Amino acid sequence: MEKSFQIQLEEIKVADILIGIPSYNNARTIGHVVRAVIAGLAKYFPKARAVMVNSDGGSTDGTQDEVRRVQIEDFKTILTSHPVNPIQRIVTPYHGIPGKGSAFRTIFEAAKILKTKACAVVDSDLRSITPEWMELLLRPIYEEGFDYVAPLYARHKFDGTITNSIVYPLTRTLYGKRIRQPIGGDFGFSGKLAEFYLTRDVWETDVARFGIDIWMTTLAVAEGFRACQSYLGAKIHDAKDPGSDLGPMFTQVVSSVYHLMEEYQRLWKEVKESQPVPGFGFHYEVGLEPISVNLERMIGNFRLGVRDLKEIWEKVLLPETGNQLESIGRLSDEGFSFPRDLWVRVVYDFAIAYHEGSIHREHLLKSMIPLYLGRVASFVKENQKSSAEEVEKEIESLCQAFEEKKPYLIEHWA
Amino acid sequence: MGEVWKVTITDSLNRFLGKVLEFLPNLLAMITILVVGFLIAWIFKKLLFRFLKAIQFDRVSRQWGLAEVLSKGGMTYSPANLLSRFFYWVIVFVTLILGINALEVAATQNLIAQFFNYLPHLFAAVIILVIGYLIAVFLGQATLIAAVNAQMESAKLLSRLVRWFLIAFSLTMALYQLGIAEKVITAAFSVIFGGIVLALAIAFGWGGRELAKDFLERLYKKNGKGDEKENHISHI
Repeated sequence: MEKSFQIQLEEIKVADILIGIPSYNNARTIGHVVRAVIAGLAKYFPKARAVMVNSDGGSTDGTQDEVRRVQIEDFKTILTSHPVNPIQRIVTPYHGIPGKGSAFRTIFEAAKILKTKACAVVDSDLRSITPEWMELLLRPIYEEGFDYVAPLYARHKFDGTITNSIVYPLTRTLYGKRIRQPIGGDFGFSGKLAEFYLTRDVWETDVARFGIDIWMTTLAVAEGFRACQSYLGAKIHDAKDPGSDLGPMFTQVVSSVYHLMEEYQRLWKEVKESQPVPGFGFHYEVGLEPISVNLERMIGNFRLGVRDLKEIWEKVLLPETGNQLESIGRLSDEGFSFPRDLWVRVVYDFAIAYHEGSIHREHLLKSMIPLYLGRVASFVKENQKSSAEEVEKEIESLCQAFEEKKPYLIEHWA
Repeated sequence: MGEVWKVTITDSLNRFLGKVLEFLPNLLAMITILVVGFLIAWIFKKLLFRFLKAIQFDRVSRQWGLAEVLSKGGMTYSPANLLSRFFYWVIVFVTLILGINALEVAATQNLIAQFFNYLPHLFAAVIILVIGYLIAVFLGQATLIAAVNAQMESAKLLSRLVRWFLIAFSLTMALYQLGIAEKVITAAFSVIFGGIVLALAIAFGWGGRELAKDFLERLYKKNGKGDEKENHISHI
C-alpha cells in the first residue's frame, strides 16, 4: 500500500461506506461513474460517512485527474439536499500484478483500515450506471444484514457468454445458489467480508486479474456469508474490442472457477440442488443496443480446433465425446449445432483434467477456447429469433442439464 | 638335478603365492566396493522413488508430455520409477568401474581415468537432450494452441517447425558437449538453420503469398480498418 494512501486513510479514521472504483485509462467514462456515485451517496446515504477510493493501474490518459476534478454543481438536479457529510475522495495507484484483482485488494485494505460497514465496487467503464446503483448495492448490507450483493442486469441476449455458458451454470450447480451474474463486476459487500478476503493469499494468482469476480462470489457463498442480488437495470460498457482479450479473460476466469472447485470439493460434492437467493430492485424492461456476431469466424475457429487440437482433447475427453465433436466439425455453417448435453460433458471433462493435472493447465484452458466458441456460435444461431425471455429459459435449461449431470462429475473426480 | 627342480618349483609357487597375497587385498577391496555400491544404489533408488512420488513427478511429467513419449516408446514404467531405476544403474555402473579400478590392473587404469574425465560431458549431454526435448514438446504445443486460437490454417505446420527446430538445436548442443565432430556439427547446424530461414522466407514471400495476404488482411481488419463483420459480444 502507498504510504500517502495509508496516511490519508489514517486521517479519515473511520467510514460507514466505502466505494471502490478500479481503473486503467478510463478518462472517457470515469467522470460519469464518479458523478453517479457521489449523487447516489448524497441521495440515499446523506448521513453516512463515505469514502470513495479510485484504485488506478497507472493510467496515462488523465483518469486520476478526472476523478479529482469531477463535481456535482447542483444537487437539486438529483432531488436531494447537500449531503451532511462530504464524500472523501482518494486516488491511489495499486501494487502487485496489473489487474482488477490487485485494484480490489487495495480497496479491501482501505475497508479494513476504515472499519467500513458497507462497501461497493463499480467498473470505471460503465456508461449505464445511475445513482440508484449505490442504493441497490449498499442498502442490503447497510440495513438488511447481508454480506454480499451480486448484480443482476438487463443484458443483450448474446452478451455475457462466458457467464451464461460456463460460470453461472457451473457455480449454481456446485454451490447451490442461483446468483445470475457471478462475475458481473459491480458488487456490494460488508466490511467483515472485505477483511475475510484479505486473509487469503491469492494475490499472485489469476484472482489478481479477471479471476477476482468469481473468487469473491464463490468465497461469499461457500464460506456461508449471506448473499443476495440486486437488479441494476442495463449494463452498458464503454466500447472496446471484445475479441482482443478473450484468451486471457477466458483462461483467467475459467482457471479460477476450476481452482475453486479443488478448494471446495468437499462442499460441492454434498450440494444436491440449487436455491434462489433473495433479490432486491424493481425489474423493468430495457431497450438494448443490437450487437453484431460473426458466426462464420467462431465456427471456423471451432473447426480448426477439431482438426488440430484433437491430440490434446483426446487426453481430456471421452472417445465418444471426441467422435461427436468431429461430427459437429463436419456440419455445414447452416446446419451447425453444438448440443447442450455435449457442452456440459466438455465443461466437466475439462474440470476433471484440470484437477488431475494431466496437461499443463494453461494449455488445457487455451485449448478449450475453440470448443467454447463452437458452443457460443451454436447458441447464437439457435436463438437468433428468440426473445430475451426465451433465451433466459434456454439458459435455465442449460443450468438444469449441468445439475442433472453433476453425478458424472462427482464420479469421475478422483 | 632333483634339488634344482624342487627349488624352481618352490620359487615359482612362492612367487605365485606372493602375487596372490599381494592381489588379495585388492580383490577384497573390489568385493567390498561392489557390495557397498550395490547397497547404496538400492537405497538411493528407493529414496529417490519416494521423493519423486512425494513431489508428484509423474503428474508433472504428464503435464510436460514426458509420460506420453515414454508410453509411445513402449515403456511400461512410470517416469518416477524409470528415473529411480536409471540412477540405480548409474550408481551400479560407477561401482563396477571403481571395483575394477581397485584391482589396480595397469591396463584398465588409463581407460578408467579417461572414462571419468568424459563422464561429466556425457551427463551434460543427456541432460541437454532431455530438457531440450521437454521444452520442444511444451513450446510446440503452446505454438499449436496459440496458432489455432489466432485462426491460422497452418497451425500444425508451425508447431512442428518449432518442435523440430528445438530438438535439432538441443541435439546439436548435446553432440557439441560430447565433443563429436564439433566443427562439422556447428557448420551443419548453421547451414540447416540458414536453410530453414531462407526456405521460410521464400515460402512466405512466394509459395505462401496467400497466407501472407490472409495474415495481413486479418491484421488490417483487427485494427478496425477492414469491413469484415466484427464480434461485439461481451464475453463476461
